[in-house]
Amino acid sequence: MTAVTMVPAADPAPGLADLVVPRPRLAPHPRMRFALGPADRALVVEGQTVFAGEPLLERVLDAGVADVGPAGTTGLMPGDPIGPDIAPPTDGAAAAGLAGHGRVLYRLPDGRVRVALGERAATMASPVGGVVLEVSAGRLVLQGEGLALPGTLAAGEGTHGALVLAVAGPDGELPPSAIDVGSHGAILVAGARIDLEALGRARAMGVRGVVVGGLVSRDLRGFRASEVRQRAALHGGPPFAVLVLDGYGKRPIASSIWALLVRAAGREVAIGIDPPQLVLPGDLPLPAPAVDRVRICAGAWAGREGAFMRAAGRVRWAGGLESDAGLVRVDSLEGEAAPPDVLVPLADLEALS
Amino acid sequence: MAGDPLAFFTLDHGTASTAAALVAPVAGRFRLLAADVQPAGLPVEALLARLVDAAVATDAAALPDAGSWRGWAHLEVATRPAPRVVIAALDEPGLAAVGAAAGGAGWRIVGRLRADHLDALEGTAACLGASPDLLVVAGPPEPTTRQRAAMSEVTALIRAAFERRPGFTCLLAGAAAEAAEGWSDPRLVLGPAATAAGPAEPTSLGELLGDLAADVTARAARTDDPSGPAAADGRRAFAVAITSLAAILEQRVEGVDVGAAGGARVAAGPHGRQARLVLADGGLVPPALLDDDRLVDTVVAWSTVHDDAFLQRDHVRNLALWPWRDVAGDGIHLRIAAARAALARLDAAWMSRPAPDLVVVSGGCFAVMPPGVAELLVLDTMRRPGGAAVAHDHARLLAPLGSIDDEDDRRRLLVDLLDDLLLPLGSVMVAPGSRPARHPGRVHVGGPGPGHDLPLVPGAVQVVPVAAGSTALVEFDARDGGWLGPRARRVALEVSGGLGGLLIDTREVPLHLPDRADRRRDLIEAWERPLWPADR
Repeated sequence: MTAVTMVPAADPAPGLADLVVPRPRLAPHPRMRFALGPADRALVVEGQTVFAGEPLLERVLDAGVADVGPAGTTGLMPGDPIGPDIAPPTDGAAAAGLAGHGRVLYRLPDGRVRVALGERAATMASPVGGVVLEVSAGRLVLQGEGLALPGTLAAGEGTHGALVLAVAGPDGELPPSAIDVGSHGAILVAGARIDLEALGRARAMGVRGVVVGGLVSRDLRGFRASEVRQRAALHGGPPFAVLVLDGYGKRPIASSIWALLVRAAGREVAIGIDPPQLVLPGDLPLPAPAVDRVRICAGAWAGREGAFMRAAGRVRWAGGLESDAGLVRVDSLEGEAAPPDVLVPLADLEALS
Repeated sequence: MAGDPLAFFTLDHGTASTAAALVAPVAGRFRLLAADVQPAGLPVEALLARLVDAAVATDAAALPDAGSWRGWAHLEVATRPAPRVVIAALDEPGLAAVGAAAGGAGWRIVGRLRADHLDALEGTAACLGASPDLLVVAGPPEPTTRQRAAMSEVTALIRAAFERRPGFTCLLAGAAAEAAEGWSDPRLVLGPAATAAGPAEPTSLGELLGDLAADVTARAARTDDPSGPAAADGRRAFAVAITSLAAILEQRVEGVDVGAAGGARVAAGPHGRQARLVLADGGLVPPALLDDDRLVDTVVAWSTVHDDAFLQRDHVRNLALWPWRDVAGDGIHLRIAAARAALARLDAAWMSRPAPDLVVVSGGCFAVMPPGVAELLVLDTMRRPGGAAVAHDHARLLAPLGSIDDEDDRRRLLVDLLDDLLLPLGSVMVAPGSRPARHPGRVHVGGPGPGHDLPLVPGAVQVVPVAAGSTALVEFDARDGGWLGPRARRVALEVSGGLGGLLIDTREVPLHLPDRADRRRDLIEAWERPLWPADR
């Protein structure tokens, strides 16, 4: 593990909030959006309370188009659900003869009704407990319980499981060989980066999700393509998601976030896709807010953290360009001599408060 | 309002950064006293306080009642992410026409429906799932019975989606308006037919789509901040300011604004606006960069960074996530590459026009590159034979000034601030046609000072220092003729100086770059090298 020595700042930096962009903070009552395809239907109604794991919506995996009527379709309206378990509305008798699940799309000019219909449907479970805020034509919105840790990117399907730290430190990497069936049902914290092979192995081992600092865009694209194939298969398997906390490439997890994840280890957490977020337990003890902590996000010291000492005015950089800078006392890594205070463009800093 | 009642702040709220400036009367006319920029999301109050502090530190007498700054007026504009539209038409030419009108009016097209090849599932998913703000159905001018039947089906799909999902507007254009019979809704708008025209060419449908985009943007701004003042649309206001500037200078002026999430280009002459383009994909880092490898590769193609292409894709995407970061490292070179790609996208949608007298560049990306490189970007991507001065709207003042409703007031302020608001980058001259095998010709750049006499190098960019604030007479002498648009053996014209000097460009129009990445990078580096500070 790469340990860090926190260097206390000489004085609190009063101007930090005015000068440096803050990292998105933990937010209560996380909202999650779930897209509804033309044939999909919600299994819940607005205002309904749901629990984690409770069926939320039904996705039709092989949706096609069929035209019915016009006889016996008078009562059908765009958006009406169709399925073996659904009683057709009055005068919607024609829909009763359709095999499969789906919804009415629109009425054709000749009076027939065009429907989106498929024979294979999969039920998607709610990754968190909460209340259904909205069920509309194209989406379902849930207000969950707990604290949302915002991420940058996410792919896959909303999921939940016990959080497991699979690497020793925030800058670690998770090789495929380190993932085994022991992680079945877990959401793994994979450090600074994970590759496509490791993601595939994690899904094969029954892992429910991966939380990682960075992901190469090539691997993200590959993962998304693999997810599409997986969902189209006859047995799609349990939901699996990857949540990227920071950005593209290899990016160590910020120490304040790492500290949160350490506290949440072993607890049930959830990954939301839209917006990208990790939902942590609401009763998680939170560390005291840091007054002057910053993270360097670009340049030679990228990924390192430290204490913001003061604003340092305009600085001319090696490229000949000028920008406002701040003086940062960088935390020393384990076994490393204390680094000198460094000048960093203010734009390259992120406040960790 | 107390203290200096005439001092005011300008604020340009971009999607990635906020630019602010302090303007106050000094010796009988308005002057720019201080300007600064910060990433979007930081408190504006602190930024304004820094401006006042900076102005007082420079000349306390200029602001005798600086303590009352919280009461000073604000002239504010804002740019927002492009609104989203799903377009539908009979066939591909119909889609191209309505797509050009919508794209040129600043809409981001998130769905295309072809009535002659209608996919009901994809069409419904686009209308319901892609969160469009507007659905447009454009009918052909004189539809046949068969075409009318195809259009009625796509209109049925759009209408069903429209009725199921509140919040968006539906525009029925041209013959599609026939479907409005018996369909009454305040969100339903009827418009003129789409005509085959470029995105920058003015059309009735384009004008209407521009108005609808402004409505959506204003609505979104009110939703985000119901209590705050409604800031004017930054890109519209920029176009207004460029038009006023052209009238004041009595010159042909082109303004190009590259924001983080969108871009705009406007041409105006002494007698008014000539063309305007607002392009969702014209931004430095349009949202599509995150998912579209081909779009990312158009940026990487301009990059001078020595790194693997797939790593650079990640860097470009990180730039899209945090456009203000990495100003001191490789990020500046990627930002320059992204700006070139954005300008190229804007130019591809622009109609061919004669070279203007003045090009004004605006947008946060130009502030973090050497002035000469900003000039070179204009040369690389807005290539037309001829010469033009290039200036930078360095304090992002033009858009806020363009938000002033009264034309006379706006012009008075522009006249006062003319020396302050435009940072002269220099002049550019594009003189294609010179070939190595022939007599390349010579150029003489006159004073102030001893002047420069130099041979023209075919296929190159030559830099001649001409100081900001001065002008120089440039005389071309070419045995083969063919310079600067009109064919002539000798051409003389006056150019203005700037921080980047005079750039004489004998490369071909349009510019062709080598296919091999290393050769392309070496070539671009060679063009840029003389324009970077010596301590690079």
